[in-house]
Amino acid sequence: MRRVISGNVGDSAPELSTAAAAVKAPLRVAGETVLWLVLALFVFAIAVVPLLYTIDTAFLKETAFGLTQERSLEAVLNVYTTSRYLQMLGSALLLAVLVTTLALTMGVLMAFLIGRTDLPASGTLDVVVIMPMFLSPFTGLIAWMVLGSERTGLINVALIAVLAKLGITSEPWINVWTYSGVVWVMSLFYVPYAYLFTVNNLRAMDGSLEEAARINGATTLQAVMKITLPIMLPGIFAAGLLIFVLSAETYTIPGIVGSTAGFTTLPWQIYADSTVAPLHRAHAAAAGTMLLWVTVGGIVLQRRMTRVAERFVTIGGKGWRNKPIPLGRWRWPAFGLVALYILCAVGLPLSALAVFSFMKYSSTIFTIDLFTTKHYFDLWGLANTREALGNTLMLGLMSGAVCVLIGGLISYVELRRKTRLAAIVAFIGVLPVAVPGIVYGIGLLWTYLRTPIYGTIWILLLAYLAKFTPYAIVVSRTGILQINRELEECARTCGASALQALRKITMPILKPTLIAIFFFVMLQSIKELSASALLASERGPVLSVLTWSYMESGNFQFAAAVGLLQSLIMVGLLLLTRLVFRIKLERASGH
Amino acid sequence: MQLKSLIRVFAMVASAGVLALSASGTAAQQYPKDIAKLYEAAKKEGKVVWYEAAPLEPMQALTKRFNARYPGIAVQLLRITGPQQYARFMQETEAKQHIADLLFLSDQPLMQDLIKRNHIAEWKVPTHDRIPEAFRAGSFAYSPYTTDIAIVYNTNKVTAEEVKILESSWKGVLDPRFKGRFAVVKRKCGACYAGVHMFTDPKLANEYGVKFLRDVAAQKPLVYSDNPIALDRIIAGERDFVFWLWEALAVTKWQQGAPVRWIRPTPTPEWGNSWNAVSKYAPHPNAARLLQIWLTSDEGAIALQDVYGSSTTLRGVPDTRKVTKEAWYKPIKQRYDMDWDRWGKNYELDMNLWQSIQDSAIR
Repeated sequence: MRRVISGNVGDSAPELSTAAAAVKAPLRVAGETVLWLVLALFVFAIAVVPLLYTIDTAFLKETAFGLTQERSLEAVLNVYTTSRYLQMLGSALLLAVLVTTLALTMGVLMAFLIGRTDLPASGTLDVVVIMPMFLSPFTGLIAWMVLGSERTGLINVALIAVLAKLGITSEPWINVWTYSGVVWVMSLFYVPYAYLFTVNNLRAMDGSLEEAARINGATTLQAVMKITLPIMLPGIFAAGLLIFVLSAETYTIPGIVGSTAGFTTLPWQIYADSTVAPLHRAHAAAAGTMLLWVTVGGIVLQRRMTRVAERFVTIGGKGWRNKPIPLGRWRWPAFGLVALYILCAVGLPLSALAVFSFMKYSSTIFTIDLFTTKHYFDLWGLANTREALGNTLMLGLMSGAVCVLIGGLISYVELRRKTRLAAIVAFIGVLPVAVPGIVYGIGLLWTYLRTPIYGTIWILLLAYLAKFTPYAIVVSRTGILQINRELEECARTCGASALQALRKITMPILKPTLIAIFFFVMLQSIKELSASALLASERGPVLSVLTWSYMESGNFQFAAAVGLLQSLIMVGLLLLTRLVFRIKLERASGH
Repeated sequence: MQLKSLIRVFAMVASAGVLALSASGTAAQQYPKDIAKLYEAAKKEGKVVWYEAAPLEPMQALTKRFNARYPGIAVQLLRITGPQQYARFMQETEAKQHIADLLFLSDQPLMQDLIKRNHIAEWKVPTHDRIPEAFRAGSFAYSPYTTDIAIVYNTNKVTAEEVKILESSWKGVLDPRFKGRFAVVKRKCGACYAGVHMFTDPKLANEYGVKFLRDVAAQKPLVYSDNPIALDRIIAGERDFVFWLWEALAVTKWQQGAPVRWIRPTPTPEWGNSWNAVSKYAPHPNAARLLQIWLTSDEGAIALQDVYGSSTTLRGVPDTRKVTKEAWYKPIKQRYDMDWDRWGKNYELDMNLWQSIQDSAIR
């Protein structure tokens, strides 16, 4: 069971500890000042400068061949004042709201069923339900293209054939090339985020509160609605914000399907403006800032909610063991519901991808001639695939480790020192999450174009650090909030320095959270495409860009093989994390 | 201090003030005309960086053929489509970050602009005179293969009778029997524009014009975001044919055994869409020149035909492609030549119009 450290956050330190701290003051100030400067410089280099470049780009004049150094308001005015871009922003936000709502509903429901009830096989389901995180969105799209196309989707083909044998003529049942198809596919892949962010809150919650409600005459449903859900709200909001940001900046699925379904979202237009002739990179940058403002609002709201969360988390901070809520006659239907999700989000897509990756070309007529092992031989045979595999692994591990370190320290300095400057650093460090990867990539490219890291894999590392340090800051922040600062003060009283207290007291308690952040960032880095596509060079190929290149080249089957390899690496790393650190991701990342 | 300058100073601080002062190596230099000597010089360089816009798989096969002939030179491919490649090369050039040796741009106007800006090395390949003028840009860039537009269809879905209707004229697609049975592509690219460019040609206004494009949309085609997706879905059988793609894209799938063929009604747009040129600042200038020479040689032309499936522009080279021996295969009867001035002027307007017409097909 996860350790919950009790106490009231924000309690004033005992006088003794203050005196002890005063004795150590010169050393502490120097050490902390250096630490603070390093963090500020890091945030400045990876967040502030590229963001300023992005904003600056929005004010440049475009020609048929690219940007000039002349200033112009044309792009900003076009983006902020014309109905075309505003409608695309509206489409992106509406889609994000729908995806967030559906993913949250499914994720929280499953978290409740698995985390708080007597659902059968909940231990296994707990692991399997997060598996869609190991598929990148566009690999997931390939899978659903194979499964859910109107006339050739395997689901429709199978259903129509079965019904035909029964003498029933049927129209296609599903079609992913529609608006609802986009919502469905995206929601499936974001459910695990909602699940991970809420399941541990549910597990750690004091069950006696619900029990008290029931003793006072409330039904189970009333207890859940009046007790469980309100306590869960901050966690749900944090998960919602993450899903909203991720789905609002996704361009692959809404763009590819949107062209067929008849809608265009802002991220797809940003992608087109950044990549398709004639380039409109000032427009792309201006449009990127639109998403920035939306997310800034969300972050401010989330931080307020987290402040409220502190009060909720500390209501009953002592360890307890909750009795699972009996589902009675709903036990097996509830199991069926979770199993159905697993079938749609894990079973069917992975099976479709596996079959597809052995095909020479797309077909619904399965003959022996259709299948080949060539793609897998090519995977090992092609030098750039092997190189991409190595780079992807190395970058994933490094970005995970550095984000944990930097994100954890930023949150620690912010919460423990509570200075205005530390709060500003923490706030600014979160901002890159709001800018679509491709736009942020342009800013990063401009920033480091004249430096030796341009054209190497290290610029990708910087991009990943910038994109994923925000998650490390947000998650570690709430992790640190759960630890009573009195523990550190005690260590300080006993003669430990601030850094020793951090290393010996705070870090060990935070270990599960930090490992969860490490794993989450590593997964996201392995999947990252939008900034990577812009920044990757011939010297440093990565798997996500390679998959996208093969997909753009029309070799979807090879792309599926690379996508599956990518997923296997992620699952392998998950298992390794369990073996080496004895940490279960699904039990460590909630807050 | 301007914001841009201020940011630049910050960026330099952030990167520990280390500036890349890479040697440009752009000084006037003589390159061996003798291939053996050029190869020796190229081997000393050891590698060549090729920014290319074509599908990755055939290009990897092509570089294997090059290495079979010239071992010891690693060809590093970076696939970047036309406009992105242009933007990247320009940014790198302005920052004196010279990485690319050889460029392969699909868009002719972009290559012309690079030549105009003096970023491309003048390098006359030995087969210069065997390449038609339409497929070379002075002695700067060469398009070693042709690109066309074609109606690509699924052989299990389109009957022989229907094939005849479609190949009789581009207007064959308007036959009522094809309503709702085909796909179009909503993307801005050279090959995507070629058809629009021809249909909106003032000289063909009576026959086609914008009205023809509207009539195509009235046939309620399925709209796909990109060419490879459309091809994949046609092969799968989601729709019966796509109005239009290009031969080289389809031929790769045909070689794999996919149920796909193509027809090219008359006149057929056929143009250079593979502009290869040596960067003036190539860090490996000898290797770049050697690769350029090989691509435009007889051996390179045959390799391109074999692995990429497109017909060579080099005169005197037989069409060795297996597909041309098929009974159903018909060569282009009458070529439609691009008006590059009109292309440059109207590209964006025409494509925006075609995309809005496609949107009307969905509604």
